[in-house]
Amino acid sequence: MTTLTRQDLNFGQVVADILCEFLEVAIHLILYVREVYPSGIFQKKKKYNVPVQMSCHPELNQYIQDTLQCVKPLIEKNDAEKVAVVIMDKEHHPVERFVFEISQPPLLSISSDTLLSHVEQLLRAFILKISVCDAVLNSNPPGCSFTVLVHTREAATRNMEKVQVIKDFPWIVADEQEVHMPEPRLIPLKTMTSEIVKMQLYVEERAQKT
Amino acid sequence: MDELYLDNIDEYVNDHNKIVTYKWLSLTLGVHVNTAKQMLFHYLDHKRKESSAPLHATYLVTGKWVENGNTSHKVTVVREEQLEDVKSKMSLTVSVHVYSVQKASLKDSGPLYSVDYDAVKDNLNSCSRYSAIKCADAVPFAPGDTRPAGDSLQFPPPDPNQIRAPSFDGPGNQTTSKPAAKPQPKGIMGLFASKAAPKKQEPGKEIKVEQKEDTTTADVSKSKSASKSSTMSNFFGSQATKRAEKTVKVEETSSSSVKDKSESSPPAKKLKETPNEEKVKETQPKEEKVKETQPEEVKVKETQPKEAKVKVTKEAKVKEAKPNARSKSKRKEPSDSEEDKMETKKRRRIKKPQSDSSDDDDVIPDSPKQQEMRKPPPTPERLLKEKIVSQPNECKRRKRRRVMKSRTFMDEEGCIVTEKGYESESYSDSEDHVPSAKASNVPARAATGKREDEKKSKKKISPPANKGTKQASIMGFFQKK
Repeated sequence: MTTLTRQDLNFGQVVADILCEFLEVAIHLILYVREVYPSGIFQKKKKYNVPVQMSCHPELNQYIQDTLQCVKPLIEKNDAEKVAVVIMDKEHHPVERFVFEISQPPLLSISSDTLLSHVEQLLRAFILKISVCDAVLNSNPPGCSFTVLVHTREAATRNMEKVQVIKDFPWIVADEQEVHMPEPRLIPLKTMTSEIVKMQLYVEERAQKT
Repeated sequence: MDELYLDNIDEYVNDHNKIVTYKWLSLTLGVHVNTAKQMLFHYLDHKRKESSAPLHATYLVTGKWVENGNTSHKVTVVREEQLEDVKSKMSLTVSVHVYSVQKASLKDSGPLYSVDYDAVKDNLNSCSRYSAIKCADAVPFAPGDTRPAGDSLQFPPPDPNQIRAPSFDGPGNQTTSKPAAKPQPKGIMGLFASKAAPKKQEPGKEIKVEQKEDTTTADVSKSKSASKSSTMSNFFGSQATKRAEKTVKVEETSSSSVKDKSESSPPAKKLKETPNEEKVKETQPKEEKVKETQPEEVKVKETQPKEAKVKVTKEAKVKEAKPNARSKSKRKEPSDSEEDKMETKKRRRIKKPQSDSSDDDDVIPDSPKQQEMRKPPPTPERLLKEKIVSQPNECKRRKRRRVMKSRTFMDEEGCIVTEKGYESESYSDSEDHVPSAKASNVPARAATGKREDEKKSKKKISPPANKGTKQASIMGFFQKK
């Protein structure tokens, strides 16, 4: 039995890798299901042994990857509290927010026979839930765009502003108008608890979208 | 009691916002798939009458499809909106039933596969427990069962009456279970009939239908027995490979408006696995060929693409089937010399319990021994000498044997110390092949140790091994190497 703590960077990196992979798939799927981009750019690929839709557009993929590349160090240090995929209308007012609340136990201790297949099963359930979320959400107005907001604990953003993780990909503090949503309706989608991470996914949507 | 299931389904669909497929429902509630289909249909009917929250449904339609003059048996999952359209396009609709019910309107078919994934995974050993397709003769092998392929011959062709048509027909559908039963057994009977020539796609599609009905183990064992019988009916198995390829290709390239047969991938995975099992069990009785087929099997297990895998396993099976490997007696058909070789190999294995499993060690003794059969046996003196000095090392035995082979050369250098006697043995080998190299080799090796010399001699043997007439056995050694 090996007990690995957060100081053991290797393990923190492993968890961050898993979460970032999952977030990438989830973001692509959200864009597909909520029709932010035309479905023609999406292609069926396999993740966690189930089919998922991923985009083929190179710039979009690069943007998402760069975003998550910057988020990864925050997750490693457990500084990221929430990662939100916000869908905005033409006036850049948020219409919908898919919020992933992530919390990792402070003392990550895993035994040598921790099977991450259980985690895979839980992540699969998240993917499935995102696929059917359009049943509980109103449809979005046309011409939406999206952005990713990260809510961090304490003052981790100060470091982010100082050090650019990726060149020419700066992170800025979000504007109030991008964050605030009037009269949000909260719809919980899925919760998971595992040894390495606890995650919750819910959707906040504006009461009147158009 | 009868209405309880409606509440159950209602809870899953409305409260949990789940996609309820008939397969998931049957595994969750523990009911037969036909019952599950009926439940879903009644639930849908009930809810539509109440006209409450909008529900979406998908249907599974199977039937004859004519396209570009080709008739095929099509199995497809369609959205409700497309149902009538697809039904009208089919020349003969065999069965229609509810596939799933959900609140969300699905944009693509991916989630339908994901829904069943975990349910099937949890019930992996018994996922066909509630299925409608059964074959009494399709019994999975017990672990350690070494039933040779010939036994499959003795299975009688499945009784068509046993194959129940897995179709729940909605009230609007005119096809009854009888016509549904007919085309399916036709296809299956076509598979098992030895000389019947059914349309190639139809048996493939039939297998697909069976798989579509989500009876994984039954399907696979059926396709396994089907493939066995097809190798039986065609000795060279070319049609078997075609059919197997067709089934896999059909699985992978099947066209449907919504679904990509992603559901067939767990059954296809099983199809992949059982040919391996088949192969393993078939080769168990064939110990003689174990060494040669083992690398093949390893290759087979490691190739990733399904098609390639099926092809390779089928081809490998064809190779084994070619000499009509059904009965053990026929395995002895190959030439007597091979038989002798095999027997000597067997003998050798018994004699050398310490021998390594490497091919080299087994083969090198082969060649000298064969030549031994042709040449007079060694003198007891020399044998004793070498046995006393010999160490329980594979290399030593090898060298010793070679002495027997070319004793005459030994006479010239036999006066060298016994250790070097081994070297000289190896030299004798090289001398056999390249007599000119003798003189140069001998002084060079006198100073060095045994094993290095043996290694050198091995190396020096290899280039001339391609020339000369006595090298047939050694060539065999190197080839097997």
